[in-house]
Amino acid sequence: MKNITFNQKKTSTIALEFDELIPDEVYTWEKSDFDKYMVPIGNSRFPLSDYFDVEVEGSAESPAEVIMTLNGDLGRVKYIGSKMTDGHIVANSSVDLHCGAEMSGGSITINGNAESYVGREMTGGELEITGNVKEFCGASYIGDWRGMTGGIITVHGNAGKQLGECLTGGQIHVKGNCDILAGIHMSKGFIQIDGNVPRSPGGQMLNGDILINGTLAMFLEGFDQEEIVSNPTVSGKQFNGKYIKFTGDIIRNGKGSLWLNAEKNRHLL
Amino acid sequence: MEYILKNGTVYDPTNNIDGEKKDVMFKDGKIVDNVSSNAKELDVTDKIVMAAGVDPHSHIAGPKLVVGRLYRPEDSRKGIVPKTDVTRAETGFSIPSCPATGYRYSRMGYGTVIEAAMPPLEAKHTHEEIVAIPNIDIAALPLFGNNWFVLEYAKENNIDDLAALISKWLRLTRGYGVKIVNPGGSEAWGWGMNVHGVDDPVPYWDVTSREVIHALAEANEKLGLPHSIHLHPNDLGHPGNYETTVESMDIVKDVAKNSPVRNQTVHMTHIQYHSYAGTNWRDFESGAEDVAKFINNNDYVTCDVGQITLDETTTMTADAPMEFDLHQLNGLKWANKDIELETAAGIVPFIYSGRNSVHSVQWAIGLEMFMMVENPWQIMLTTDSPNAGPFIRYPRVISWLMSNKRRLEMIENGEVHKAVGRKSVIATLDREYDFNEIATISRAAPAKAYGFEDKGHLGVGARADIAVYDINPNTIDPSNDYEAIERAFGNAALTVKDGQILVKDGQVVSTKESQTIWTNVKGLEEKEAVLMEKIMPVFDKYYTVKYENYPVFDNYVPNPIEVNVQAGK
Repeated sequence: MKNITFNQKKTSTIALEFDELIPDEVYTWEKSDFDKYMVPIGNSRFPLSDYFDVEVEGSAESPAEVIMTLNGDLGRVKYIGSKMTDGHIVANSSVDLHCGAEMSGGSITINGNAESYVGREMTGGELEITGNVKEFCGASYIGDWRGMTGGIITVHGNAGKQLGECLTGGQIHVKGNCDILAGIHMSKGFIQIDGNVPRSPGGQMLNGDILINGTLAMFLEGFDQEEIVSNPTVSGKQFNGKYIKFTGDIIRNGKGSLWLNAEKNRHLL
Repeated sequence: MEYILKNGTVYDPTNNIDGEKKDVMFKDGKIVDNVSSNAKELDVTDKIVMAAGVDPHSHIAGPKLVVGRLYRPEDSRKGIVPKTDVTRAETGFSIPSCPATGYRYSRMGYGTVIEAAMPPLEAKHTHEEIVAIPNIDIAALPLFGNNWFVLEYAKENNIDDLAALISKWLRLTRGYGVKIVNPGGSEAWGWGMNVHGVDDPVPYWDVTSREVIHALAEANEKLGLPHSIHLHPNDLGHPGNYETTVESMDIVKDVAKNSPVRNQTVHMTHIQYHSYAGTNWRDFESGAEDVAKFINNNDYVTCDVGQITLDETTTMTADAPMEFDLHQLNGLKWANKDIELETAAGIVPFIYSGRNSVHSVQWAIGLEMFMMVENPWQIMLTTDSPNAGPFIRYPRVISWLMSNKRRLEMIENGEVHKAVGRKSVIATLDREYDFNEIATISRAAPAKAYGFEDKGHLGVGARADIAVYDINPNTIDPSNDYEAIERAFGNAALTVKDGQILVKDGQVVSTKESQTIWTNVKGLEEKEAVLMEKIMPVFDKYYTVKYENYPVFDNYVPNPIEVNVQAGK
């Protein structure tokens, strides 16, 4: 097992880009390799050692044997764990954009909040955020119609707008509240929101499941109420209590399912 | 500066040089037959030397490209290459940025590209983009097939006014030749309709595609333009359209050619998309045999293929109703644009997959056309970039053409759908192109078809547009070493443009400004003036721009190559 610890020395107003510093790339690196590495910042590269002191302990035969720990203020560090296929990253701070974007394996734990596009287009692996996430968590990149296709995202706090936009697989679980347009354009996969949602989950969805345990203030008219189900099993997971099942979005002949906690959403009956 | 490319193996079909070991010399941007002792010598022993490539049909500049880039940021994320000391940063795969377009053509050893669809109203913008593309000469073809004035004169069979209109509009737009897209169909799209076949009347115009094609061909030859009409016929991409294609080619049979350079009176573009049999997507199959047979029997026809490359790409065409059909078929996002009085356009992303039976048969049909058209001077290498795939795939298409083994491998190991075996005969065609034929379809034939007398060959006086590829034709077996073929044609050992070395070992080492080739017809000035008196009331009534703002001004074309044509001669 190889432990690589990044201890921040100073911050930057322009974001550092960490997409080259993933277990797949660094599992063979020694401390000297980190010391001479030039990290992209804006349109130039600067010595990583100006910003982080890197400690390396142990050795690894593959990316799976790497644990990277990032300490300090990572609010201006982008692309942490982007495109990683294996290994584990722990970020002990809030992180900037695109954390875990396009990752296909391994795991990332963020002990803080995540900026937008966390878990964008991920195809596998696990991503856990102890704080809140901003917009487009598990979504597609601007313009694309293919969002997250696999893996698991767990958000312990609240989520911003367009969570799981264009979701085509995988699971997202938000334990707090979620802003508007969750699961818009989704065609597969599962979104579970334990808190409240102001409006419009599942707009233009074709398939997949969205389950809301909190209150949905307002929802789109393209959903038909199907039935009230007790203790339903949704995407392989059982839920206790009564849930109202809607199907939509009719506007696209969608066959997606929107499950609402009946107790909390009597106003929609 | 003088150079000798020493001891290369030269393929120059125009001058009947087929794999001869010889030196190629150039000085002051031209090919010469001798140089002084001060000439710089570049050893190209065991390498192939050809004229730089000429792409007869590609979409690289204009409003469609801009819309495509704007609404497909996901494409711009691909193909990112950081800037170097010489080059700007590159982005994009199917719709690359302007600088990337120039660099990528240079890396493949290309020197000239035809932008195949320029809406006259958007010509200024097209030229702005041309200026932003480095390293290649570019000619743009203005769209005429759905222009209101063209429809009117075609209906009246008024060839004199039509010729004057073409002459005037080539000057107004700094265009090179006459492009026709789905004649009548794009105009019909303004009413949510289309035309099918060549005898379907255009709504509210009472003129048919047959009349439009014939009239434009007659006017084209009356003027004696360097290129023939460039025809994207009706019914693109529809099962059973091969009959429309054959009829379209037959329409101009009686039109006499008026050009000392080219042989054809019609150039059929992206013929793959027009060679489909069947009646729907279930019984869809190849109709290539009938189309190829017609071309083989009629030397007044040339074509380019529009080979499917099995990539995710961006389709874009002035055939706007076809793009709507495509959008309905694949459900992906769709952009639509009307160009008042002139044409229309649509854009839809498309994922060509070898696992899809229709896409695979389309792939086979393109290759069948390459195999079945006997004379390589009548068929040209294109992917209708980016429609059937991006132009950077030309080296891969070349490797398919040179290796029957590779084609069969793709069929046998499931890289393409098994329907290819049932719905096409590609597996039975064992023709393999040699280097001379590759040089013909990728430079000599396109240059001839466009009337470029100083391009596409290495004869004395030609522009020093040269490509050197790191392949030893005496030792390589393209049938087995198809990967080496693709690698070499994708990374030229040397690319020379107008005597300037732009690429070495696949890397862009210098850049130059692009030049714009356009046709200036002379001798019809009086007729044009009379015609404009007739046109102006209509122009003022229906265009939302003032005529004074319509033409492409000289400052939009800072590096022109003006081809002067005396009307009728």
